Amino acid sequence: MRRAIHVSLVVALLLAFGLSAAAQDPADYQRPVDVAPTDEVIGEGYVTPEVQRPRSLAPWRQVLDMALLGGALLLAAWIVLKRRSRRLAFALTVVCLAYFGFYREGCICPIGSIQNVAVALADPNHAVPYFVIGIFMLPLLAALFFGRVFCGGVCALGAIQELVLLKPIQVPPRLDRALGSLKWLYLVAAVALAVLPAAGRDFIICRFDPFVGFFRFTGPVHMMLIGGAFLLLGLFVGRPYCRYLCPYGALLSLTSRLSWRGVSITPDRELDCGLCNKACPYGAIEEMRAVRTSCLACARCYESCPVHLSCRGADAEAAS
Amino acid sequence: MTQVAAPLEYRLAGTLGAGDFDHALRGLAMVSVMHVVAPTEPTPFNLLHAVGDSRVAVYGRERQVRSWPTSKDGYSVAVDDTVWVGEAGQIEIFDPLGRLIDTWRDDDLLGLVTAIGITRESVFVADAAARCIRHFDRERNLLNNIGDRHRKGGFDIPNGVVDFVLGRGRGRGSRWVVHVANPGMHRVERYTPDGELLGRFGRFDGVDPEGFPGCCNPTNVTLTSSGRVVVTEKAPPRVKIYDSEGQLLTVVAADEAFDPAAKNMDVATGFMDRIYVADTAGRQICVFERTEKQS
Amino acid sequence: MSRLTRREMLGHAARGAALVGMGGVTAYLTVKAHDTYAWEIDPNKCINSQLGALGVEICDACATDCVLPLSAVRAVNHYPECGRCYICPAYFEIKSAVGPDGLPSEKLCPRDAIERKAIGWIDPDDPANNFYEYVIDESLCNGCGRCVMACKEPAGLGSIRLEVRHDVCLDCNRCSISTACPEDAYERREPAA
Repeated sequence: MRRAIHVSLVVALLLAFGLSAAAQDPADYQRPVDVAPTDEVIGEGYVTPEVQRPRSLAPWRQVLDMALLGGALLLAAWIVLKRRSRRLAFALTVVCLAYFGFYREGCICPIGSIQNVAVALADPNHAVPYFVIGIFMLPLLAALFFGRVFCGGVCALGAIQELVLLKPIQVPPRLDRALGSLKWLYLVAAVALAVLPAAGRDFIICRFDPFVGFFRFTGPVHMMLIGGAFLLLGLFVGRPYCRYLCPYGALLSLTSRLSWRGVSITPDRELDCGLCNKACPYGAIEEMRAVRTSCLACARCYESCPVHLSCRGADAEAAS
Repeated sequence: MTQVAAPLEYRLAGTLGAGDFDHALRGLAMVSVMHVVAPTEPTPFNLLHAVGDSRVAVYGRERQVRSWPTSKDGYSVAVDDTVWVGEAGQIEIFDPLGRLIDTWRDDDLLGLVTAIGITRESVFVADAAARCIRHFDRERNLLNNIGDRHRKGGFDIPNGVVDFVLGRGRGRGSRWVVHVANPGMHRVERYTPDGELLGRFGRFDGVDPEGFPGCCNPTNVTLTSSGRVVVTEKAPPRVKIYDSEGQLLTVVAADEAFDPAAKNMDVATGFMDRIYVADTAGRQICVFERTEKQS
Repeated sequence: MSRLTRREMLGHAARGAALVGMGGVTAYLTVKAHDTYAWEIDPNKCINSQLGALGVEICDACATDCVLPLSAVRAVNHYPECGRCYICPAYFEIKSAVGPDGLPSEKLCPRDAIERKAIGWIDPDDPANNFYEYVIDESLCNGCGRCVMACKEPAGLGSIRLEVRHDVCLDCNRCSISTACPEDAYERREPAA
């Protein structure tokens, strides 16, 4: 024991003299521990307190967040597909904005997780936590069954745009389609930059995240400017980020193409009045049918429907 | 008192041993050449012994005159007519030409030997592992410890080194006095060989050079021929001289003379009150001489 | 729902295929997945704790660059390595004038986050005779690194280091401190046990 102490003291002193500092394991910042007084020396029953280690990641928090995300997705699906209530959808949007956006500071974010997942798939030495897998997969799964309910009810980035949309104008369909292809480019660019070798890796989705600066009430200037621009534009153009840039929106439009259920304008009750078409700020209703790939499940169309009351609670089975 | 003290001023006269040590330079000791039974190499100058890495290097006035390896890293050196090298768990004793005479091993009593003092009757060994000074007779029987009665269980050495120097007490036939640096308490303490505290001086001050700055200073201590106390400090490195009552006499050198990372700079004094300081980070020995004004 | 139409059949098949695909990706990721990767500071790279980096400016990027209002980085005193010094250079501004109590008159921490108290048996007459414990208040510290630099070798024992508080850290992909860190001391890895 004494011998061990001596040896470690020698090692410590060597370090103290500036030796081999560079050759250490990064976690290992060995200091001359043995010159520090021990509990016995300090006396009077003194016990060295526990080092204030950074508390480990709180797993319950992540489980809670994942459960809330899943719950919110199911709730959104129920509200939009079953209850068909714009009011409830709106309320859910506000709650999700408050929690996932402002309270969790925009970091329950499937959009950014694309990059992490891409890196984990491409780089054998990299992995993502279970939590991120869940965050990435849950909305896609939801879209496979219920359409883009994540966009409509849960996504904080969508929600903040949803709230500022005051005077929606219809974007000409051709322009809408052209701009809509931008998100694919963005997705490809983000994945390509993320899977670069570690040194050159760049997470552009996070770097140019338009709204996270607002959620945190602080952020780089460029972020705030981009966010401000999107919000200004969003006063008139419904959810410009979601429709034209969001790379996760691109993925969701892919899986929602196959979705089991989706927002539907009930064919046997429709009036061909076109009010729903006008009410849709996202250009997602074509020929009186909601286009699943671009429908953001906001439930505005139901609200505008003159037979809304009868629509509500209509058997979705009959609808599809 | 008619005696007018000559101004005590020092200048950096040169360096020794630059490049001789690859990893560490730790201990210094002087020997007056008259002690040295070395007929093959008569030299008119005092010899400075330095230990570091795993070797002893002996310097004349300007250059290395010999060097030999030790079995472990040396932390301290003392010289009478033999050369004692303090290491972890042992002291190696060499003749003046570097031939090993004896190895004194004792894991318990010689934990980490960071200073050695030799008299005709006794051997004093600073054990940094036990944070005290061991007082042995020449037969290596432990007589007593110095400093272990301290409330802090020994000298307070966050710097990891106990350094002391032997001086003569006042008056004829007086006993040896052990001057010890107690850096954590910012003091230099004087003990009898029996371990009785005779006196102490020093206080903390980060601004006034009279005080000792930082967490733990002074780290090393030696005496001049006239009994003045030379101390070295770390962070930033500095060398100062006090009289035996603790009055600051002069600052020999401040940080610009040394590598700023130097700490536990061992110090030795020689002929004409020359001061040798081991720059432990720069791994060379700085030599300071008194500037002789008209005296 | 008596018979499936051809269209529904195709739909089910496509959905099933998509599910299988997503399940495959999930399985692959799950096999690799870890629980604890997080941003960590390498103390040998951080200029505030790096041995030999003397006379350099204190880097306070950890305090200023975090996206959180109070940075997720804290100074942590590793007690077993702490010298319990009477005059702690990380607690006191040791260059300030000495007060009547023999102690420096100013503290180093700009947020007064360090608490000093005598421990063990207390000498009523000689405060230099005591050991002192230095506790950093997590709720006040913002990771500015001043104490880290002051405690480092050769001035101190280097028992204080900057560490990421994983319960506070948002674990941003583009950790803004890591991009600002001049020494590339940030790394996403398994935290030390």
